[in-house]
Parts: sequence; C-alpha cells; structure tokens
Amino acid sequence: MTTTLVVAIFVGAYALIATERIHRVSAALGGAALMVVIGVVDAEVAFFSEETGVDWNVIFLLLGMMVIVSVLKQTGVFDYLAIWSTKKARGRPFAVMVMLTMITAVASALLDNVTTVLLIAPVTLLVCERLGLNPVPYLIAEALASNIGGTATLIGDPPNIIIASRADLSFNDFLVNLAPIVVVLLVVFVGLCRVLFRSAFVYDEERVAAVMALDEREAIKDKGLLVRSLVVLVAVMVGFVAHSALHIEPSLVALLGAGTLVAVSRLEPPAFLEEVEWPTLVFFMGLFVMVGALVEVGVIGDLGERVTEAVGDNYFLAATVLLWGSALLSGIVDNIPYVATVTPLVQGLVDSGGGSTQSGALWWALALGADLGGNATAVGASANVVVIGIAARNGHPISFWEFTKYGLVVAFVTIALAWPYLYLRYYAFT
Amino acid sequence: MRARDLAQDFPTVSLDSDATEAARLMAREQLPGLIVCDGDGRPYAVLPGSQILRFLVPRYVQDDPALARVYDEKASDELLSKLGRSTVRDVLPDKRDITEIPVVDGDATTIEVAAVMARVHSPLAAVVENDRVLGAITVRALLDHLLPS
Repeated sequence: MTTTLVVAIFVGAYALIATERIHRVSAALGGAALMVVIGVVDAEVAFFSEETGVDWNVIFLLLGMMVIVSVLKQTGVFDYLAIWSTKKARGRPFAVMVMLTMITAVASALLDNVTTVLLIAPVTLLVCERLGLNPVPYLIAEALASNIGGTATLIGDPPNIIIASRADLSFNDFLVNLAPIVVVLLVVFVGLCRVLFRSAFVYDEERVAAVMALDEREAIKDKGLLVRSLVVLVAVMVGFVAHSALHIEPSLVALLGAGTLVAVSRLEPPAFLEEVEWPTLVFFMGLFVMVGALVEVGVIGDLGERVTEAVGDNYFLAATVLLWGSALLSGIVDNIPYVATVTPLVQGLVDSGGGSTQSGALWWALALGADLGGNATAVGASANVVVIGIAARNGHPISFWEFTKYGLVVAFVTIALAWPYLYLRYYAFT
Repeated sequence: MRARDLAQDFPTVSLDSDATEAARLMAREQLPGLIVCDGDGRPYAVLPGSQILRFLVPRYVQDDPALARVYDEKASDELLSKLGRSTVRDVLPDKRDITEIPVVDGDATTIEVAAVMARVHSPLAAVVENDRVLGAITVRALLDHLLPS
C-alpha cells in the first residue's frame, strides 16, 4: 500500500513538472512533502543518507558555479570576446555565427549552459543589430551549441553533475569519454548551421563598418577584476582536473573557487549572488527527496532487477535504448528530473556488469542521450527556454516550431553520430 | 490644499501624436512627462521622460549595461532615429503593463496625490474633474508645497 502511494505521488508530481501545470519547484516540494506525510521519508532519509537523501554534492557544485558566474559577469569578458571575434570575422555572417557558437560551446563546457546563453545573447543581439541581420538564427544556434558543448564536461550540464555524483565519476572521466565526441559533434554542427541557417547569411559591407566601430575594450570596466577572476577560474579548472588525485570533491573545488573569487573581487553579496538560481537549487532538493522515497520503498531496486534480467549481458542494446530513449524523453520533458530518476536504475545495470567497460559505458549513453536530446524541442533544455525568452523581450519572438524544426535536425544528427561512437569505443573491440 | 488648487496647466498629447514632437515638447518646456489622452480626451497614461529612454535604448543594453560602453557616438545617434518613425502609442508600455494611471480628482488631498505618484513611480499626476483634465501636479510642485520654506 505504501509503495503504491509513493509511486502515485511520484507520478503525480512528475506529471505536474512535465506539463508545467504548476511551477516545477512547487511540484517537487509538494511531492517531497507528501513523502514525509505518509511516513516514508524522515530527516535521516532526506538529509543524511547517501542512497536516498538530497545529493549535497550536486547542490553545492551548482551553487559554487553560480557564484563564479556572477563574478565573471561583472567583468564584461563575454561582451569583449563576442565583439572581438565578430571583428576578427570581419562581420561575415557565417563566420560570425561560427565564432559566437564556438565561444558559447566552450563556455558551456566550463560553466553552466543556461548562464552562458544568458551572457552571450545580449551581445549577439547587439552584433546582429549592427550588421542588420535577423538575430533569431544566431540565438537558436547558440542555444543548440550550448547544449552540445555542455555535454563535454562534468560541470557543463546539470544531468552530468547528477550522473557524476551518483556514479562517483571524476571530471577527467567525463573529459576523456565525452569531450572527444563533442569535438566531432561541434564540427558537424558548424556544417549543419551552414545549411540550416543559409538564408540568415546576408552580407552588407556598409553595415560591417558599424561593427568594426564598436570598441570591445570598453566592455571591460575593471581590468584588475578580470585578471583576478581569470586566474581563479583557471585554478578552479585545474582543481576539477586534479580532484581525484587531490581527494577533493568537485563541489568543494567549486565552493573554494567561488569563495576565493568573492574574496579577491571584493564584491558585495547582491552582486556575487546575482546569478544564483535559488528556485533551481530548491527544485533539485525536492526532486532528490522524491526519488529517494522510491529507493527507500524498494521500487527502484525491484525495477532495477527486472531491467538487469531483461538486459542480460547485452550492454550495447541497453546503451542503444538508453541513448535514444533518453534523447526522446529529454526532448519532451526537462532532462534534470529524468536523469535524477533513471540514475539509480542505470547504477543497478552498471553494478551487474561488475564495473566492466561495457556496462560502465551506460553512463555515457545516458549523458549523451539526455544532454543532446535537450536540443530536440524548444522546451527540451533550460538554455532553449532562456534564449526564447530573451529573444521575445527584445522584439524577436521565436515560436515553438521555429526552434524545434532546427533543434530536431541537430538532435537527431548528433545522437545518430553518438551511437556509432559508443559502439566503436566501448563494444566493437571488447 | 486640494489637488485642484495645486494643478497647473499642462500640455497633453494623443496616442497618435508624433513621438519626436512629444519628446521635443518635453525637452523644450522642461517637463518631467506628458499626459496622454485617448480619443475622447480622457487620460490614458502618463508618459515620463524615462519611458522614452526605455523605448530608445535596446532591451539587451538595459539588461547588460557593459554593452552601452561599446557603442560609438554614431551608433548612439542611430538609436535616436528610432523615435522619428514612432507615435506616442509605440513609445508607451503595453496596455496590459499599464496597471494604474496616476490620475486624481480635484478633491484629492496632497498626501493622496503623493501616494498615487509614489505607487506608480510617476513624476506627475493628472488632475481630472468630470472627465476633463484640469491640469497636472509635478513632483517638483508637490515637494515645493510639502517642504517647509
């Protein structure tokens, strides 16, 4: 009876999150509260258990990175980079799109993709306005690039943070296993942009002079702050790469980096907390408690056993289903709750394989499917929603289908390339 | 003292008035804003000077002030040309965003006038009697009256 109740509460809350009938934070907290009311979750289960509790590594890694981004935003470095690269591209529209999308992709791998598009979109609107270009294709391309770029690292996309923490994977594990395919996908993505957005590349020599007249150095208000911030950012990245050797969790690396940045920037709390998305952090907490309740009553364990039986030792089939299924679902619903729910199931499958390369690759199938699948529709990833919001506020509305017709192609092509990558790297020769 | 006693003659513009002319009127007469009337001569909105700037400066520059610094003078001049093609209706916020118009009736006390202006962040309040605009009270006139001399 209790198990049925837990499942019903979980499904109800998940449906509310997916359909956005009420705010996702309210749905997750409401679901978590009901798990407490029916007696499945107590303080121990919710706060202190590694199996069923809130994953504080995820929460504090996100918090630390949000503080880092808040300080970086004050430096104007993104505005500088975007204008500098546009001038280097001599205002040629396709070259400008390549530059802006590559900056977005790299920044998304190092930071969080929502924040990256928040920082790059305003300067993109400026550049397009100066060049007399329709900014919509550029903004859509940036959202798509941020989701691809974010796939490359542990910190690039929230699903990766959840997977890393639950599977005890290091920053370097992500870099070694996902970055190579992401580089290939970005090259292919540039080619796709050339075809998909071909009508957006209208060159007007007179307008180029207007861009060349922009002074990117003016975007940097405080050079000292920029230098100090970049030094700390590099140190944080080194910390991520070396966290296994140093025996420091990525969350602590991010928090130490954030603290150092706050100290050296001498900014006041409203400034360094500006980009902290408290609703997102609370949403994660509610979600972890709900999934923890499923684990607590044994639903995940039972489901895991059945899935393990069905898969047997055919891990490539499991990876295929996980990759394409995750892509499909992530295109329709937010990939964060999806990954939070599926992670314990994948953990069971990986454990049943005794930690072999073949079973371990299921994590990469999940990450690639969930991250790249977010590109499929306008609501598939938070970065898409943010870009569409910015475009609308600036008088360039992007409809659901306008985004989706490009997103579907990019999601399909990238997933279709990720599939043989998984096969060749983890299954063909082992 | 009542609102009708504090009200001063104040120019009004219509929704279809030329936006550049409205801005020039504001600058020439050193007015903090203008009363915008609908087709029947009733107050529709107050157009403060800051709303004209909000219309001219792209939203993305308002969101990211660092971008304002990268504009050269020529680009700044081009921004102003946007006003030349617009009417007062274009410059005003969306109708659904105008939740309250700073309008008081002639009997309103000075504190009522101050409360309306404070609530809607308006630099002036229109004084209306029998659907007719008597005039307006500016922040400056109100402070002049309220502050001890």
